[in-house]
Amino acid sequence: MNQPAPKAAPAPLESRRKMIEFDQVHKYYGDYHALRGISAVIREGEFFSLLGPSGCGKTTLLRTIAGFEDISSGAVLIDGKHMEDVPPNKRPTNMVFQSYAIFPHLTVGENVGFGLRRDPRPAAEKAQAVEQALEMVGLKGYGARAAHALSGGQRQRVALARALILKPKVLLLDEPLSALDKKIREQMQVELIKLQREVGITFVLVTHDQEEALVMSDRIAVMFEGEIAQLADPETLYRRPASRRVADFIGVMNFLPATVLGEGNGHVQLEVAGLGPVDITDDQAQAIPTGEPAAVGFRPETLTILYEGQTATDREAPGVIDEVVYYGDMTYYDVKLDGVEKPVRISMRNVFGREVLDVGTRTRVAWSPGALVLFR
Amino acid sequence: MKFSGLRLYALLYLLFLYAPILLLPVFAFNDGTVIAFPLKGFTLEWFGQMASNDTLGRALVNSLIIALSTAILSTTLGIFAARSATRYHYAGKAGVMGLIMLPLVLPEIIVAVSLLVVLLGMGMTLSIFTVILGHVLIATPYAIAVLNAAFSTLDQSLEEAAYDLGETKWSTFRLIILPLVTPGIISSALMAFTISLDEFIIAFFLAGEQVTLPTYIYSQLRFPKQIPMIMALGTVLVLASVILLTLAEYFRRRGLAKTGAKDTGGFL
Repeated sequence: MNQPAPKAAPAPLESRRKMIEFDQVHKYYGDYHALRGISAVIREGEFFSLLGPSGCGKTTLLRTIAGFEDISSGAVLIDGKHMEDVPPNKRPTNMVFQSYAIFPHLTVGENVGFGLRRDPRPAAEKAQAVEQALEMVGLKGYGARAAHALSGGQRQRVALARALILKPKVLLLDEPLSALDKKIREQMQVELIKLQREVGITFVLVTHDQEEALVMSDRIAVMFEGEIAQLADPETLYRRPASRRVADFIGVMNFLPATVLGEGNGHVQLEVAGLGPVDITDDQAQAIPTGEPAAVGFRPETLTILYEGQTATDREAPGVIDEVVYYGDMTYYDVKLDGVEKPVRISMRNVFGREVLDVGTRTRVAWSPGALVLFR
Repeated sequence: MKFSGLRLYALLYLLFLYAPILLLPVFAFNDGTVIAFPLKGFTLEWFGQMASNDTLGRALVNSLIIALSTAILSTTLGIFAARSATRYHYAGKAGVMGLIMLPLVLPEIIVAVSLLVVLLGMGMTLSIFTVILGHVLIATPYAIAVLNAAFSTLDQSLEEAAYDLGETKWSTFRLIILPLVTPGIISSALMAFTISLDEFIIAFFLAGEQVTLPTYIYSQLRFPKQIPMIMALGTVLVLASVILLTLAEYFRRRGLAKTGAKDTGGFL
């Protein structure tokens, strides 16, 4: 995982102006119900991501902001104004396309300055604006080059400069990094975050890459089948996913079968396979009636394999190592807890001087009830 | 050698294809009225005869008017059709496109006869205008085929990007789409021009009293003493075709170089 630069404390989201509002947005393509009553608010200056598998409606939703898709019912508001009859060329939004859509017959400078064609300012001022925009994305002096001769990363920068030169209220990014290779992608992620903080414009990003969404966003809307399954900040999304499906989509999560024994006083009592009786607080749990079968989920890094002589600070469970995957800085162990057929994945940071354990080793696993999430 | 049989075949094939055309200039400059070896000597007489022939001049002017009009009309129609075929989805699209492309495989004589019947039935006078109508009918499918290729390689987001950056639909078409499909438009116009220029059957049926180059050439073949002049005319036409094709290829490659698109093969 790549780490963004440390964030300066921004104004709390709730106090900021509403930049985009979706109010019960529905979209049909013939019989196909692509957006199913989307309601959400994106605040000014927010880095907002729409995350989901392909076909979940995230790109369609982004395109309703740009005006490329009409909505079947509901409303989309940008900066408080209804966008119903406003065409894309009149909206205060600009878009970075997945293919970048760089005009191949124009130079880099002509591409970046394209949106200024209708700007009444004198040519010299506009040329200066183009130069500034190119400098902002690290392409100073590239203005006279042919656009089609650029590399993927450079095209992406040109597309960014071209969209940002118009100082839109909202910048829309449709999978902007998916065409780049891993190294450049990670570098661009960091640059995008920096750029967003620099210009202060609201960014709405569409991505299917959960890691990208976690790294870059202030808030993320996870979408499945035309609906928002969960809207939260990255940490909440990761630590307290609202459903098994969200948990599965974001990172790796282990599941163990569980039964609700009882609840009350803000606590839920469970019997979990392999872990035994557990008491969790109800903010860790979906409302599930007593006696009903359920599952608890936990992330691989919330478990620790105990070496000889170590004791758990909280609780521990016995098991056998079933599989070992060595990653250099990390080792992934698949451990079969006693009484559970399906192994759970445990990630351990490798520490100098500590051996990697072998398959078949009998071991003890330390865990904590606070890291569990209960799902239906 | 392993491939000598195939090589010989290829050589014979090319010879069969081009030897007759190479004979045109040989006899066009030959000082004799009989088309036969041995050659008699060098002369420019036939070219002089050609230049001073009024009917031929008229035929040439007619053919150029017809070919130019056909090129412009069928390419314009082709742009609309190709745009709709590549960009929009509507009910019955496949059927409509199939019907538009049908003249490509329809026997020309059938097209010509039925057009004649209909036009006469409508009380229209046969002229170069009716020939233009017929030629547009047969050249448009070719134009669409060429333009479809040009339009379908266009990334749809280019249009959306321009629209998003503040341009109207029309200015987007003018600033982005048109420049990018220009090589296709030139190819299409050239193809329609060539098809029309040497088209015989429709011209023969629909021209009425007027002559076009092919119908004129055909009519002159009855007179043996005119044949050397036809050879000279053929030489000029071959030369003109080569120049036209070279020009078209030049523009096509320049278009490719300008946009950095991959070369997917052209005429040459």
